[in-house]
Amino acid sequence: METAKTHRSIWRLGHIFPHRTQPLRWQLGTVIPSLLATVALVGILVRFMPIDPFTFRAWEALTRDRPPGMAFAPNHRYYNARASGDLAAFGNLPSLRQYRPEQFTTDAFGFRNPPSLLTEEVSAILAGDSFAVGSGISDDETLSSQLRALTGCIVYNAGSEVGHIMPDDIVNVAHRLKMRGRLVIRIVAELAPPAANPSPLASRVRALEARMPAGIRGLAGRLKGLIDVSPLQIVSTRAWKALEDDRILPNKYAARVVKATLANGDVMLFQAREDRADHQRGISLDYWRWLRDDLQRAQLDLLVVLAPSKYRVYRPFVVDPRPVRREPDDSWVQFAADLRAAGVSVLDLTPFLSVEVARSLEHGEYLYWLDDVHWNAHGVAVAAAVIQDRWRVPASSCGLPALRQGGSLRGPGPQQ
Amino acid sequence: MLFNSLGFLYGFLPIAYLVFWRLSGKTSRYVWLAISGYVFYSFWDYRFCALMLFSTGVSYLAGLGLLRWQDPARRRLCVVVPIVTDLALLGFFKYANFVVANINGVSSWSGGRAALPVLDIVLPIGISFYTFHTITYMIDAYRRDITPTTNFFKFAAYVSLFSQLVAGPIVRFRQIQEDFENIDRADRTAGWDKGWSFFVIGMLEKVLIADTIAAVIDPALARYAQLSTVGAWLCVVGFAYQVYFDFAGYSDMAVGLGYMFGLRLPQNFNSPYKATDIADMWRRWHISLSSFFRDYVYIPLGGSRGSGLLTARNLMITMVLVGLWHGASWTYVVFGAYQGLLLILNRMIRGVWGRLPLWTRRLGTFGLWVIGCAIFRASGVGMAGTLLGKMFTWHPGATIVGEGTLLAMLVLSAALTHWTLNTFELRHRWSPAWVTGFAVAFGFCLIALYGSRPAPYIYFQF
Repeated sequence: METAKTHRSIWRLGHIFPHRTQPLRWQLGTVIPSLLATVALVGILVRFMPIDPFTFRAWEALTRDRPPGMAFAPNHRYYNARASGDLAAFGNLPSLRQYRPEQFTTDAFGFRNPPSLLTEEVSAILAGDSFAVGSGISDDETLSSQLRALTGCIVYNAGSEVGHIMPDDIVNVAHRLKMRGRLVIRIVAELAPPAANPSPLASRVRALEARMPAGIRGLAGRLKGLIDVSPLQIVSTRAWKALEDDRILPNKYAARVVKATLANGDVMLFQAREDRADHQRGISLDYWRWLRDDLQRAQLDLLVVLAPSKYRVYRPFVVDPRPVRREPDDSWVQFAADLRAAGVSVLDLTPFLSVEVARSLEHGEYLYWLDDVHWNAHGVAVAAAVIQDRWRVPASSCGLPALRQGGSLRGPGPQQ
Repeated sequence: MLFNSLGFLYGFLPIAYLVFWRLSGKTSRYVWLAISGYVFYSFWDYRFCALMLFSTGVSYLAGLGLLRWQDPARRRLCVVVPIVTDLALLGFFKYANFVVANINGVSSWSGGRAALPVLDIVLPIGISFYTFHTITYMIDAYRRDITPTTNFFKFAAYVSLFSQLVAGPIVRFRQIQEDFENIDRADRTAGWDKGWSFFVIGMLEKVLIADTIAAVIDPALARYAQLSTVGAWLCVVGFAYQVYFDFAGYSDMAVGLGYMFGLRLPQNFNSPYKATDIADMWRRWHISLSSFFRDYVYIPLGGSRGSGLLTARNLMITMVLVGLWHGASWTYVVFGAYQGLLLILNRMIRGVWGRLPLWTRRLGTFGLWVIGCAIFRASGVGMAGTLLGKMFTWHPGATIVGEGTLLAMLVLSAALTHWTLNTFELRHRWSPAWVTGFAVAFGFCLIALYGSRPAPYIYFQF
């Protein structure tokens, strides 16, 4: 009797629907608003679930609840046995996914490091964007991990999204670590937006974020993540994308990427228009001088490492579509020259990677993922070896002194 | 803001609805409807709210003048000045660059070097619709078909009524006057189920049929030069159904929303693809627009009262204007002229045509309409020519991506448009099985809305 009464009262929805005294009728006027309300409720509830199962790689999972001013959600461990590349996702090309396991661990500061690193003596800080962080690779394959393996010196991975890399950030990180060395390696990816000095407003916001108590920052990040990211939307998008497979419906995402065939017959994805981008970007040296000078004031040495785009190093091996003819020189090369002229230490990885790309392709190996804009563990290993050569230092004295003086580094390309 | 968007379904509609029915007074409901309309409009571009307010104010004052003055000269002034003002605004925003481009083209062709600057104009969404709302109001008041209202908020609510604001139907004041007058006595429950029934059907027409067809034909038509003959026919027939379900879906949603707010909006589509001749088609297609041009252009021009030649002239002028109403492009002019020509031919051969079997007349009418759709869909006269060329001369070629889906959609669309009842013929009393079916289909719509950006309506651009 009690149950029946309760049941009836639940179904009396007169306060929402116009049929004030009627029990729920199976009519569109009640069913559709109920459906809308149910979907909205489900949409809200699933936002409180962990986001990891809804993501195809670590980046999205660890940036959702990122507290303001932090690179990633702190003290988080993400594991995906079947992670895949960003280009395959952007272009909705599941058949071209390269599945790989991905483990991504963050420390208490929200950077990608094993938590134990915070108690050890650090020889160098690695800053930069997703290339520095190691998007698409596992913890033990990142540049900082591989540099540690090669040199025996601890390199702290302070990689973050572009725009988060300001001198203050690096100096603050250095102050919070036990610094033994004084080297800052700043990775610059070719396709990343040009770094620029922050506006006064952005600086004030960043300062405010930095002063926020950790609990408030965490809460703010969590709230922002709950509002911005909807798992229901992710699932719906995937369902819709599954229909847009160029059989049932045309794939409207395909134009976002270029499917290119290499000389060995393998298919490699590139960002759309990357092959036509002239890279005439308004690169400002002000930022780099500012970064160098501020770091110098904190007694830190800056080494800028230029990571070329995938297309730059694989272009000679693309047979279809035929590469667009372009003048060999462009602003990327000019950028390196300008930095050197401005007195900034620069290491351009392009010639080293280009040589290794040619060699490894003969063995069916790659330095970049076929389905991703980023380099893979092999590409990172090449970069680490080149950086180690420039930063030649005995393991017993990690960090003292920092850089070899320029001009003597041997490589297949122009002298650095 | 689009009806087929989550923001509308979860934000705008519940708030607009709950506040509306919480208010009890006539004026407070007018004010709320007007505010809702302006908020709805501002989601597209708030700056153009001032333009709509200006147009509303001018027409309202004209109405007051028509109410006050009885002498013909002043009354004429009261109707001519505001209509010229409204049409000047419409002309500037919609046609200025078209005129400039053509003057420059003629100048260049004749060897002249003077080039007028192309203006950086954004076409305010829905301007063609609310301008026509105000024009019908003023002309009807001038003709004494209606008594102009002295309540500004009532008039503002009529012009900015969100359900019909940006893509019609072009509701005349007299069609909605009674419901507006009794707005404080409206029964909340009366139109609730029927309103949702219209709304859900409209949503299914738009999201599941029109948008699916568009997903296949839009990429194919973007490369129209590579289409085969079969592909060109599939795309153009697909567009004929897409434009119907897109606009009829919008109109059904508008009618459904009207019912939820106690307002009965008129029918805008009466099974046009069941038409037996082209005149019948225009009596069924976008009824509010075709009846506007019939009542305010064709009949004042003389209609069919004069000689056959004069009637042909009137038809041609009217249909070219109908074409131009859709947009500032030569393809719309050609589309209008083509429809005018068909109407003239229809008058000439209607005796013979009328003796043909029903299915022949329907098929013939639909076929002629499809040819018009090729012109209507084209982005330029060149594309229209290419499409028609491909349709009527054999061009082998590859199939279009998603052809199977398109064929399935065409079969479904044909069944729904040629053989079933339209939404105004339905009783809107559904058995539980039907309700469940609608709910499942509406669930698919929600997946589409969550999973992809809502597609705007074709008629928004007009």
